[in-house]
Amino acid sequence: MADFAQTLMTTLAVGSLYALIALGYTMVYGILKFINFAHSDIVVLGAWISFTLTRWLFPAVGLDAHNPDSPAPPLWLGASILIAAVVACSLIGFVIERFAYRPLRKAPRLNVLITAIGVSLLLQNLGQLSFMFGPSPQKMPALLSNVELWRLSLPSSGGARNVVIGLVDVMIVGTSAVLMIALEFLVFRTKIGTAMRAVSYDLEASALMGIPVDRIISYTFMLGSALAAAAGFLYALKYPGLNQPAHTTWVLLGLKAFVAAVIGGIGNVRGAVLGGFVIAAVEQFGAYYLSSSYRDVYVFALLIAILLVRPSGLLGSTVREKV
Amino acid sequence: MRKPNPDTPFDSPTPPRERGLLGTLANSAWPILLGIALAAALHYFWPLGPGWLYYKKVVLDVGIAIILAVSLNIVNGMTGQFSLGHAAFLAIGGYTSGIVTYYGSILLWKSTDLHGGVLGPGAWLFVFACLLGALVATAAGYVVGLPSLRLRGDYLAIVTLGFGEILRVVLQQTNPILSPDQLDSSSLKNWLPPPVGGAVGFNGLPTYTTLFWVYVFVALMLVVAFRLKRSSLGRAMISVREDEFAAQAMGVHVARVKVMAFMIAAFFAGLAGGLFAHESGLILRPLDAGFLRSLDYVIMTVLGGRGSISGVVLAATLLTVLPEYLRDFDQYRLIVYSLLLIGMMLLRPQGLFGIHEIWDWRPRWFTRKPQTRSPSNEKRGAA
Amino acid sequence: MTNVSTANRTAPNQASPTLLAVEGIGIRFGGLKAVDGFSINLPRRGLYGLIGPNGAGKTTVFNLLTGVYQTQAGRIFLDSRNLVGLKAHQVVAAGIARTFQNIRLFPGLNVLDNVQLAGQLHAREGLASTLLRTRRYAHEESEIRRKAFELLGLFGLQERCLEPATSLSYGHQRHLEIVRALAANPKVLLLDEPAAGLNSQEKLELAKSIRHIRDTFDLAILLIEHDMGLVMDICEQITVLDHGEVIAHGTPHEIQNDPKVIAAYLGADAATV
Repeated sequence: MADFAQTLMTTLAVGSLYALIALGYTMVYGILKFINFAHSDIVVLGAWISFTLTRWLFPAVGLDAHNPDSPAPPLWLGASILIAAVVACSLIGFVIERFAYRPLRKAPRLNVLITAIGVSLLLQNLGQLSFMFGPSPQKMPALLSNVELWRLSLPSSGGARNVVIGLVDVMIVGTSAVLMIALEFLVFRTKIGTAMRAVSYDLEASALMGIPVDRIISYTFMLGSALAAAAGFLYALKYPGLNQPAHTTWVLLGLKAFVAAVIGGIGNVRGAVLGGFVIAAVEQFGAYYLSSSYRDVYVFALLIAILLVRPSGLLGSTVREKV
Repeated sequence: MRKPNPDTPFDSPTPPRERGLLGTLANSAWPILLGIALAAALHYFWPLGPGWLYYKKVVLDVGIAIILAVSLNIVNGMTGQFSLGHAAFLAIGGYTSGIVTYYGSILLWKSTDLHGGVLGPGAWLFVFACLLGALVATAAGYVVGLPSLRLRGDYLAIVTLGFGEILRVVLQQTNPILSPDQLDSSSLKNWLPPPVGGAVGFNGLPTYTTLFWVYVFVALMLVVAFRLKRSSLGRAMISVREDEFAAQAMGVHVARVKVMAFMIAAFFAGLAGGLFAHESGLILRPLDAGFLRSLDYVIMTVLGGRGSISGVVLAATLLTVLPEYLRDFDQYRLIVYSLLLIGMMLLRPQGLFGIHEIWDWRPRWFTRKPQTRSPSNEKRGAA
Repeated sequence: MTNVSTANRTAPNQASPTLLAVEGIGIRFGGLKAVDGFSINLPRRGLYGLIGPNGAGKTTVFNLLTGVYQTQAGRIFLDSRNLVGLKAHQVVAAGIARTFQNIRLFPGLNVLDNVQLAGQLHAREGLASTLLRTRRYAHEESEIRRKAFELLGLFGLQERCLEPATSLSYGHQRHLEIVRALAANPKVLLLDEPAAGLNSQEKLELAKSIRHIRDTFDLAILLIEHDMGLVMDICEQITVLDHGEVIAHGTPHEIQNDPKVIAAYLGADAATV
């Protein structure tokens, strides 16, 4: 019982990260119908920009990351770093779309996919240059001390055990929830959101109806990148040992989030959130109850199963190809 | 070589003469015999000396890259399916053949040293191992090909990518390699999962990979690729690439063609895996099954051109040789690759040679006639 | 399984003049009845037309007949062989070939290869003989090539056989589509708007060619066409489709005077005027 509760808590935290990243995949796919391979690299950039800013700002506000007795950083520091990372990544997302994807708007989808892989490789390896983030892993200073919020005593196989719910997990779930509700509002309640849905439904018809398609697509990329940056920031909070930008853990993180988008039904905003939590549950419970070495295998096995049984995902609708 | 003649685009339809098994073999086997001769020449006339040893390694690497890129091109270029998991077949072939040569050598000769030269007993064990690896990879190709029946484009890319990543994770969980002494006292626990080195990689394999064997297999690959391209099956593959729906309406069994493409490609990737595993100075690691290595070969096919065999051979050669000269710039290698990919897609998405072979290309002023090859002289490429 | 066997028993027998017997086929997409209860009996050497306003479901009928869509009701027999449940490539092998309304040639194959692709349908040599280049394989390939080349002669495309298919003029591409379908050696040829985009001179020649093809290859032809002049000129029987249902069937003369047909084309009011 205690194990279950602990795993559930991790699932919620990790699931909201996956959901945030999956939203970016799903929005771009919904509109442009291609997998934005470079999306996971925006997450990486979000995490590393957060790291770089933290390292600069810590001395500026009189903190020492290497001294364990140093006082806990104020909350506004974390918030402003989050906002800075979000703004920076939105701009990068805008630039990528403008210069790499927009010229290929009419090209076969495969070409766009290959370009996206190219952009992904480029971001990874630029990030790894020594004058950028460098080719070695770094330790993110704690922006948030992991205060124990609740301690529950639950029965377990070896007697009662304590389940600790920490501030970091709650912060991750809370921040993600706020962002997701904001996105939901934006997509379903505002003019821009309506335009986005129209473009995703039929790009050419929307253009004929006077919707500024290019601008809407830019917004979509910036929005997706913003969420990815937030996810990167939160990821760095949860897992402070940051791998170098081209490390495979990042590729896997992006892939799993993409799998979440597919499982929820690609193009479907609510599906992406659902998919994020499903993936996290499969991964975390599989890791805990079966074997943790194969956690990635469970996710991909689920992906292949879903694609073969219900290619449109859990919440997606089947689209008949016109012949 | 006959000149292309539009009036008679086909060989005169003579009824098949009975030429007997030997005659047929002689007729169909000459390109491969030529390939064996060239490979042998390369092997035996390769100069000695330390400097040449280095070039030899580069030439070996080029040969292996050619096999992998040309085989991937059968799936990605000719059939138009987008696989991002080609390295998985390399790993399957490499690990399978490694198990055979490593543990086979210990069983046969009580050590993992080399036994015999190019045609010695050890080399035959090695060739058997490579073929077995290729067959296991073919079976995997069948399994990976199945999703291609239901999924298109990027979805298929993700599934093949996922396959490679799963394999990588599984390979990381394998047992440590058993030395000859440990072999006798080993229990089932050491064998499940197989003792192929886990995350460290499968090292200590006998280094049977020589210029001769690499280029014999390169010749085999090229003969198969060119014969496939100008055959009913090749046409069917191209039709699936261009318009799956119309292909079906013309009687092409699309499912069969796709799975066949995956299986043929996997066979040769498995073969190349065997060569890769036994090359001196290389260690087969779980990472070799993963996405990044697959990407190397994808880039070669994209650069060479979708379906252009000679273009892909050229791209594989260039992209293997150039990094050797740019060793100091290793951190920039992938940046150059990525810029190449993006630039190609923006400026010349069909690749350097598109669907044409290098020799199809001539300056436009060279002749007024369109330069397409006559169907009757397709053998030219095979040699 | 029992359904199929009863269906087989009631199938028209070999001696009947009907080659393609279609009875009550239909398909819905979601709630929309795209085609409902479509029937037609196409005799040997028959040349029938299928007309109807845009969106009436004509091409969907072709897609049902060729196995692209699986019919949700009814029966399809070709020479008393049940075609329901066959996949698209199996239907071609059974003897129904088609052309496409929006030309769908393979741009990466040359003119000859486009035709050979359909011609290799009945090829029997497998992968091993392909790769080994056996004598039998070479012979089979050159047979396919010879037949494809001969067929190109129908529309005088022989001298352009090595050019990329998409370098042909629009009219020639339409011709190539027909040649390609013929190469599959069909018993029934389905032509989807073969005259679309042709000028009046070309249309006249096409009409002649279609008759010629029917006679030389001993085929039954069903064609969809918007050009009424062409349809009325060459078709023996015409079926009119509107909103997925057959509203009329008869000779060109009967169709021209059918009030329901006029209403479908000109709107409901026109019929009463």
